[in-house]
Amino acid sequence: MKYMILTYASQQDYDGMAGQATELPAWSPEDFAAMAAFMEAFNTELAEAGELVETRALAAPVHTRRLGAQNGVPFVTDGPYAETQEVLAGYWIVECASFDRATEIAGRLAECPAPEQVTANAYADIRPIMESAAEISY
Amino acid sequence: MSGTDVDVESLLRQLAPQVLGAVVRRYGNFDTAEDAVQEAMLAATTQWPGDGVPENPKGWLITVAARRLTDLLRSEQARRRREDTVARWELRTQQADAAESSADSDDTLILLFMCCHPALTPPSQIALTLRAVGGLTTTEVARAFLVSEATMTRRITRAKQQIKDSGIPFRLPDPEERVDRLAAVLHVLYLIFTEGYAATTGPRLHRVELSAEAIRLTRIVHRLLPDDGEVAGLLALMLLTDARRAARTTASGELVPLGEQDRFRWNADDIAEGVALITEVLPRGTTGPYQLQAAIAAIHDEAPSAEETDWPQIKSLYGLLLQMSDNPMVALNHAVAVAMADGPTVGLQRLDTLAGDKQLAEDHRLYAVRAHLLEMSGDTASAREAYLAAARRATNLPQQRYLNRRADMLADTSRC
Repeated sequence: MKYMILTYASQQDYDGMAGQATELPAWSPEDFAAMAAFMEAFNTELAEAGELVETRALAAPVHTRRLGAQNGVPFVTDGPYAETQEVLAGYWIVECASFDRATEIAGRLAECPAPEQVTANAYADIRPIMESAAEISY
Repeated sequence: MSGTDVDVESLLRQLAPQVLGAVVRRYGNFDTAEDAVQEAMLAATTQWPGDGVPENPKGWLITVAARRLTDLLRSEQARRRREDTVARWELRTQQADAAESSADSDDTLILLFMCCHPALTPPSQIALTLRAVGGLTTTEVARAFLVSEATMTRRITRAKQQIKDSGIPFRLPDPEERVDRLAAVLHVLYLIFTEGYAATTGPRLHRVELSAEAIRLTRIVHRLLPDDGEVAGLLALMLLTDARRAARTTASGELVPLGEQDRFRWNADDIAEGVALITEVLPRGTTGPYQLQAAIAAIHDEAPSAEETDWPQIKSLYGLLLQMSDNPMVALNHAVAVAMADGPTVGLQRLDTLAGDKQLAEDHRLYAVRAHLLEMSGDTASAREAYLAAARRATNLPQQRYLNRRADMLADTSRC
């Protein structure tokens, strides 16, 4: 069965990763390299275990374009998020034996090296992916 | 209950662990999922007899259980938000192999291992096994153990909470743990069987449903682990013991000891199956306690009459069993076999060495065996006293009546 593991970050977190300090300190080049190396190894391991379906990282929240309607009138907005709002930053789709196994996989992300302000309150969500429409119909 | 109802019930009981396994794999939350599956089964019990069994009954149950799980989780989460509490649990860091199949058969085994988790007390293990794997309702489990439904609900809820707190993931135990964990599962199945075979409290001697359920569950484990000698041994032991059920009590419910049972009333099919199982498994080598007990039961069941029982063989099997465990009941049975093989005096000497055992000292069975051996040796006065002492300590009514009757019979002989 398939699960999606989701991680979140704010525009400020993205700035920090890019080496730019905001209210949060900037990452050093070494910090960034360590994280990138961990992610590469982690993804390779998942792929070799046959559990990785897909993984992607999303560009900074500032590049978001929102399409919607207000009172029936369509609109497009650029950058709908506040600087500190945490939004989807990346995801993994894994195929594994159980929810518990998917949770263990996500748990490994806690080992990812990062500056303390990031690791201190990091979190990820794990959500089952529906296999068919029947799963939602009442 | 009509034939269809019986079919629906047995179908549901068979599907219960598969459905629970599927739901827990997909959505986790064993404790809440178990409630959701119970509710789905209840819905099926009311709907299927009227509407007919759906084309894919297992899929139906999984869908209904998953919806109920959604509802139950929502109300749990809403309550927690009101109380401003967060449900946190420790993530186990242990890394297991990713490669793991998710067949229904594995799920049933995993559920058995979970329900018989060493963190739980035996009564909790038994109750949870009967509900989560056996598919019995709390009411049925409560009735089988003669406790109130409220008590049983508390017991099951507590057991599920302990499993949740232990943080064990839904998967088979690691290979190094598996032997011990399987021993715990077999012990629970054995306890369910013996509870059904000789109820410890209450007026009825047999609670057939529990013995039958224990045999059904052990059959499943045997099917899943056909190469395990102790699983086969336990199944054989249950069949060979249960085969005597009809002969074990009179029409009025009085207990009939093995030596006086009408052997024509023993179930020949069960005996044949049990003997075949144990005959196949014994030569394989490592012999465990269940296999030895099954071998003993087979010797009893195959003897054409009580007098023709091969007691020397039984004595040596109990001797082997005694080397494996310091269980006082094994020691007591060994003493009986010694008496039957070598005469009551030697048997009584054995008993004297057991009287110091704390577990056994106040057990009616020690007194009952002493009474039988004294009677064999011709000391009727002491035998009668021992029967009465045993009756005072017996916990169920048929046993008390039987022991008092034996004492009365000896009073009659001494008057003659």
